[in-house]
Amino acid sequence: MSQDKEQTLIAQLKKANILIIDDFQGMRTMLRNMVKDVGGVKIDTSASGKEAISQLKQLNYDIVICDYNLGPGPNGQQLLEEARLNNYIGAAAVWIMVTAEKTTDMVMGAAEVKPDDYILKPINQDMLQTRLEKLLLRKKSLGGIEAALKSKNYVGAIEQCDLKIREKPANLQEILRIKSDVLLTIGRFEEAATLFESVLAVRSVPWAKTGLGKVKFHTKDYEAAKRIFSEVLADNRIFMEASDWLVKTLDAMGDTVQAQKVLQDAVGLSPNSAVRQKALGETAYKNGDLDLAQTAFEHTIRISEFSPHKSAAVFAGLAKVFSEKNSPVEALNVLKQGKREFKDSPGAELETAIAESMVYEKMGQQDKALEAMAQAQHLKGDLGGALGPAMAMEMAKALFRLGNKEAAAALLRDVVKNNHDSAGISAQVQALFESEQLGDEGRALIQASRQEVININNQGVALGREGKLDEAIALLRKALQEMPGSETVMMNLCGLLIVQVKKSGRSDERLAGIRELLYRVQVLNPANKKQHEYTAALNAL
Amino acid sequence: MPQDEISFTDFIASSIHDMKNSLMMQVHALESVAAECRQKGDLETVQKLGGVLYEASRMNSSLIQLLGIYKFDKAIYPMDVVEHSLADVIAEAVMQNTSNLNFKGLKITTECDPDLYWYFDRDLVSGMLLNALNNAYNYTKSRIHIVARQVNGMLELRVEDDGRGYPASMLSNNSMGANKGIHFSKGSTGLGFHFVSRAARMHKNGGTCGSLAIENGGQWGGGCFIVRLP
Repeated sequence: MSQDKEQTLIAQLKKANILIIDDFQGMRTMLRNMVKDVGGVKIDTSASGKEAISQLKQLNYDIVICDYNLGPGPNGQQLLEEARLNNYIGAAAVWIMVTAEKTTDMVMGAAEVKPDDYILKPINQDMLQTRLEKLLLRKKSLGGIEAALKSKNYVGAIEQCDLKIREKPANLQEILRIKSDVLLTIGRFEEAATLFESVLAVRSVPWAKTGLGKVKFHTKDYEAAKRIFSEVLADNRIFMEASDWLVKTLDAMGDTVQAQKVLQDAVGLSPNSAVRQKALGETAYKNGDLDLAQTAFEHTIRISEFSPHKSAAVFAGLAKVFSEKNSPVEALNVLKQGKREFKDSPGAELETAIAESMVYEKMGQQDKALEAMAQAQHLKGDLGGALGPAMAMEMAKALFRLGNKEAAAALLRDVVKNNHDSAGISAQVQALFESEQLGDEGRALIQASRQEVININNQGVALGREGKLDEAIALLRKALQEMPGSETVMMNLCGLLIVQVKKSGRSDERLAGIRELLYRVQVLNPANKKQHEYTAALNAL
Repeated sequence: MPQDEISFTDFIASSIHDMKNSLMMQVHALESVAAECRQKGDLETVQKLGGVLYEASRMNSSLIQLLGIYKFDKAIYPMDVVEHSLADVIAEAVMQNTSNLNFKGLKITTECDPDLYWYFDRDLVSGMLLNALNNAYNYTKSRIHIVARQVNGMLELRVEDDGRGYPASMLSNNSMGANKGIHFSKGSTGLGFHFVSRAARMHKNGGTCGSLAIENGGQWGGGCFIVRLP
């Protein structure tokens, strides 16, 4: 290392807050001495994952050096996921995993759960020093991009990537990869495809090929997506990202049997991914493979004890499996356990209450089933009606079982109205009606609900054209109250509000209203084209 | 976790983890003892420690290889082929071996364009280099020469020494991939060659895959250990 570089590194390390996490006293001391000798001053240590979490919460660390195996409690990977998910560490922070062997999750996981680097043991001081220097330099070069991404300024992030790409940096691939991710996120699929193809023209790298598959998936060419993901896996069976996307594709094609096979294979290779085990449980349940669903859900609960991916849906899922296996007592126990684990989370409580109602109903205890459903309705009110479509459909299913057809249909009507242009959701709603032998009613309800939304939107747009802006805005505002999840209503309203600003002047209040709508849609669906258009229009105002 | 769910992989991984921790502590302790001795002028002990450190490095190399081969066989090795700087990877491999190379007073030279980047799995190539360096350490007289360059569209990675070179019996059957018919001199289990040749073959591009070759000659007429990657 040149003297200059060494000086900059020492200066940077001197300022940095550094955390060393290792359950082994001897290793902690050794790592600490190494970091100290390289120039670190503000060094804290943790002996366990639990201790580390409280330290990460308290102080914004710049460098974390973490052993992968931490004994009982969360491992290094789970710690990293939790720290990133909860923003305990900033985008510029460096996380180095120290490990005896690299794991699939470490190199094949999603970008947000990968450490910045891993060092295989045994490490010595010189090695640690060079790696630290390189990582700090790399982080600095990605700083602008990561900051833009963090504030969801996707277009800005792409501009930053292009600037870097023009400099022809050593980590060109990394920047291309980040850029392609952003392009996919905001729905610029053609540009993403061109990028992937240009990389693939030089060499068949799995991330680019998988990327091409994602483009096919997003543009609904499922056959092509399936073929591409399968090819990636044939060459590189451990490339989990392709496996996850293949499952997604098969699901979209309705081939849950094949999806289960792919998931089983993936889980065999990376048994400690809670997300995949949960998906396997859900798919096996759909396929009626109750034994496998039970194993998968139980395994999920075990491995996600310390994971940020811990979810009430797993408890509800396992309870349903037990209930269908005619083991209602076990089902109720699982739900009780779930309730303990997820106190103070209305979403989780709602999920549990719905499952409870179904279990009691199957046991023939109508009173208790109704009681649980009443609680679910109450919780739904607390949530302000903001149920995701999956949970709303689950609740409707439970209502059907209780014979409360009207309430079920009302819920499903909202689901359709909030997602009136999603053919997938309509199909799921229809399937639910069919399973209750109410196919015709379902079809009529879906048709009417979609038409209602279309009419309101058309009416709003027509009023706007006639110059009756205020009337149009009022109409769509009212509609939005009924269907708070409808992208179409939000975007049409947004368009009217922009016209209003153009016509009768800007005010902070009006601009804030427009921004809020844009933000809501961006969170729901970053690929919404109208949202990009209106963001540009807003910036031009 | 119930007994029957602890798989052999978990055992191997966790044992190796444990062994590597021990190894790391040992090496660290030995290095500080050696530093003390050097200060006191006890060069005889320093010399002895050098041999011990070399054995530790060999043990580490074997652990890497065992775990690697196990994962190749099970098709669970997380192959991660991305672009790396050859100069960086070589520098790190040398760095990892600095102490035992210094003890023997060996001189290492590297010939590599700083702008040479190639697609490979970093850990596998580090493992191959470590193995080659350990071998060269054993057979060389005074120096080791590492070369990385592009030849006919392939990456060529050479580790050359100035020792007596490989015996004719090994060279006559230069299909290291099959690894048959090679009579290893005592102390060698064949693990290293097997690992390197498997690791090289894990690297594929288009229709070609990587390979291992050995020959005598190179810069100083000693043994040459050559890995080619597509």
